[in-house]
Amino acid sequence: MLARVLEAGGIATTSISLVREHTEKIKPPRALFVPFPFGLALGPPGDAVLQHRVLAAALALLEAAAGPVLVDFPDDAEAGAEPPAPVQASTVVPASPAPADAEKEATQMQRRHGEWLQHSGGRTAVALSGLPVARLDAVVRFLEAFAAGGDADLAERPREVPLPNFVRYAADDVKALYYEAFLAGTPAARGEQIARWFWGETAAGQLLRRVRERLDASDDPAWKAAAFGVAR
Amino acid sequence: MPRLDRLPPANRANLLNLPVQINEGSPWTPPRAPLAACRVAIVTTAGLHRRGDRPFIPGDPGFRSIPSDTPTADIVQSHTSIGFDRVPVMRDVNVSFPIDRLRELVTKGTLGLAPASYSFMGAQRDVARIAAETGPACARRLRDEGADVALITPT
Repeated sequence: MLARVLEAGGIATTSISLVREHTEKIKPPRALFVPFPFGLALGPPGDAVLQHRVLAAALALLEAAAGPVLVDFPDDAEAGAEPPAPVQASTVVPASPAPADAEKEATQMQRRHGEWLQHSGGRTAVALSGLPVARLDAVVRFLEAFAAGGDADLAERPREVPLPNFVRYAADDVKALYYEAFLAGTPAARGEQIARWFWGETAAGQLLRRVRERLDASDDPAWKAAAFGVAR
Repeated sequence: MPRLDRLPPANRANLLNLPVQINEGSPWTPPRAPLAACRVAIVTTAGLHRRGDRPFIPGDPGFRSIPSDTPTADIVQSHTSIGFDRVPVMRDVNVSFPIDRLRELVTKGTLGLAPASYSFMGAQRDVARIAAETGPACARRLRDEGADVALITPT
């Protein structure tokens, strides 16, 4: 749809398509169907050669004389190569006893996260709450207070950001800290492995379950929507 | 994800339930010049933005500008749906936003870069405001900035 809008607005477009059935119906002007999962429009991370091949194939569609154009990227995914559906909290049984001290644990993750920053050239997905990695312990304390049912808030919350949205951002930053800390030690880890560890073996995972419970207990649709984004 | 029938059942069901436009034909704007003389922008629905910019919220119909000189390390994602694996983009933003690859093509003389790329939010169930308001506004911004081509990438 976006490609059609931009094309009608005078911009030549070429699109990457992940769901061929949808593209056949929507009919963007030029589209390259690729056999990759959601989140991997240009192919696997770190594979610059493949990413360039995908780019070249998409840009080549600009030579077409008329559209709509829908071309399949020549590589085909192997049967059974599809990743499983993302692991959700409700499918992971927490360790028994479950770790409890999320603030202490987050401090440990901050140290491991330093290794990730060295590896990634300073890039981190911790960004949405507005607090830096060094202050994620404050974010954890905020989430603990929120989960406990109090009138929790942080001075850093922008006034135009509603509390449930900020809680979601804070949860996302905690997840990003932990995921990147895990990747620092196990660079080849897949998302489902990290998710099982996070929801099953960390105090932060148990904290976010409690945060979700408080959000979902509200009748406010915005709180319920935030709950759906924190944990399922 | 080559075909819906190869997806896990939950993913397949979610995708089949998404509202999808059914169109006849498509708009058509030919590139004004050969690719080497064109300025290319990325327009993604991966919910990306500059670090410090206002994050997206689910259903946000707006867009964010990502100037082409933004360091890759400062491009972050607030499309944090737990319905897909975000680990790949944590590792390499180019899986959704191939800005480093485009910069390499600029060095080779294959194409030029527009002054800015843009991101919308993904997983939209109601695209009416994007179709009527913010999409056309993005097209105007791209034209005003001298962009010739947009590479559209999904989440």
